[in-house]
Amino acid sequence: MGEAFLNLQFRKSYDDFTLELDVSLSAGITAIFGPSGSGKSTTLNCIAGITKPDSGNLELWNRPLFLSGNLFRGINRPPEKRRVGYVFQDGLLFPHLRVRENILYGYKRTPKNRRHMRPNKLVEMLELEPLLYRMPNTLSGGERQRVALARAMAASPEVLLLDEPLASLDMPFRGRILRQLKAVHHDSGIPMIYVSHTISEVMVLAEQVLVLADGKQVALDTPQNFLHQTPVLPLVDPAHLETLLEGRVVAHHPESGTTEAEFGGFTLWLPTIDRDIRDPITVSVAASNVMLAAEAPVGLSARNVLKATVSALDRVGETVMVTADAGRSILAEVTPEAAASLGLQPGSEVYLVLKASSIVVLG
Amino acid sequence: MPTSEEFDVLLLSLRVAAVGTVIGLPIGLLIAWALAKTSMPGKVLLDTLVSFPLVLPPVVTGYALLLLLGRNGPLGGLQEDLGVEILFTWFAAALAAGLVSLPLMVRSMEVAMAGVDPRLELAARTMGANRWKVFITVTVPLAYRGILAGAVLGFARGMGEFGATIIVAGNIPGHTQTLPLAIFTNLQIGDDDAAVRFIVFSLAVALAALLAHRWMLKRAVV
Repeated sequence: MGEAFLNLQFRKSYDDFTLELDVSLSAGITAIFGPSGSGKSTTLNCIAGITKPDSGNLELWNRPLFLSGNLFRGINRPPEKRRVGYVFQDGLLFPHLRVRENILYGYKRTPKNRRHMRPNKLVEMLELEPLLYRMPNTLSGGERQRVALARAMAASPEVLLLDEPLASLDMPFRGRILRQLKAVHHDSGIPMIYVSHTISEVMVLAEQVLVLADGKQVALDTPQNFLHQTPVLPLVDPAHLETLLEGRVVAHHPESGTTEAEFGGFTLWLPTIDRDIRDPITVSVAASNVMLAAEAPVGLSARNVLKATVSALDRVGETVMVTADAGRSILAEVTPEAAASLGLQPGSEVYLVLKASSIVVLG
Repeated sequence: MPTSEEFDVLLLSLRVAAVGTVIGLPIGLLIAWALAKTSMPGKVLLDTLVSFPLVLPPVVTGYALLLLLGRNGPLGGLQEDLGVEILFTWFAAALAAGLVSLPLMVRSMEVAMAGVDPRLELAARTMGANRWKVFITVTVPLAYRGILAGAVLGFARGMGEFGATIIVAGNIPGHTQTLPLAIFTNLQIGDDDAAVRFIVFSLAVALAALLAHRWMLKRAVV
């Protein structure tokens, strides 16, 4: 977790909605989480200079981006002077330019002494080499988002804003982009602000989470803790709860039609995937697909049984969300009756049972 | 068969309309951009002003241009300093053609530019492009078919210009007599055969322009 780099202290009112923030964010990857209409995108637009706050001040590395004042003393830097990169939900590649020209668009407009991202390096990290001479309308959704990421980074921004960049993508593409996003962040050191309403993405990507609801900050916490806070729980949709796990392929077992992968402390058996040994993969485990047992189950067809410790129990709607630590945190969803009959409490030892076929590989 | 003098009238008309379009194009582009992409004060006034030649009798537009370019007009002194006189030359006819076709060009270009997703322009700005660069590198390239279609429409309108032209350029055979003026003159003196030959020229140019316009707009969807 880095030092504070972005001060947001502003107010923006619309007819039926007011966004009011007073928060300092640390360099690193920050996720802004909240339901639709909570002010996530408005926050990004105010940082980028696309939307003008009614009042307040915004500072990036102590450089003023916006400062309300009277007619003569206020500051409102135009977007092109802010050094704020933006990856939009649908990529917004320039349809008349090839991938290569799209990537170089911002790079060419960055003064030489401020260029510290090398387009070639980005092309390599994001595996864009084969796409360089294609037109945007021939790319898949995932390819477009990777190009959009390279294009924004090539302008050497001082912060990169990402507005639900994975929302329009099919499941299998999300894992690879999340890994690449992290790799680009670690390589460049450029802070990122990632807007999402998907809890699992936030947990796997972010170092801090800012939770918004109805235009207000309701939590600023670590990805491990934010989910359990009282004001956050009502925002959780149990139907879509999942855990993303990042690991590596260990072995293929053609006789049983499975692939074995290692996730830092435990291994899981997955439906066979066409990957080489040691390749990184990301899988999704839906909370509703995780069964709990109080004792080591015997005579079970499920391949994956993990010993874990319950770290938190939270009431979410009609169900109970169980956070279990098996080396990595895994979310499970059980009925209140089941939680009571198993005697679940924080600290309880449990066994998590996952059917191989219920694990979705995200690429 | 048309005589070579009659072909010269066609060539003169093409030159007048082309030069008028070339002068009107950048002005029209900037006005269309201001109308489509900015929220500047006075937009309604600009919109009204640029629409005037569309609804005024061209003779009135021509008279305004005559006052502007006349010896005592705002641009009279400048012409004197440069040692040129524009009135009653083919260039005056070109200015008249450009002015009268400006509203048509602006309408078409405004629609084309308004069709460019403003979020693409914002994306360009977050990458360091200022408004002018965005105009040149994003707006115009994405709207270029609509812009060209507007120019073709303006060119066709310029070819047919009569009222304003006769006020600022007169009707001097071989110098400022364009197709519409030649048709009018020949009908007046009773040379219907010559008039019909000029009418055929006009029809051919108009048809070509309309086909070009149609083709450009058909492909304008990005």
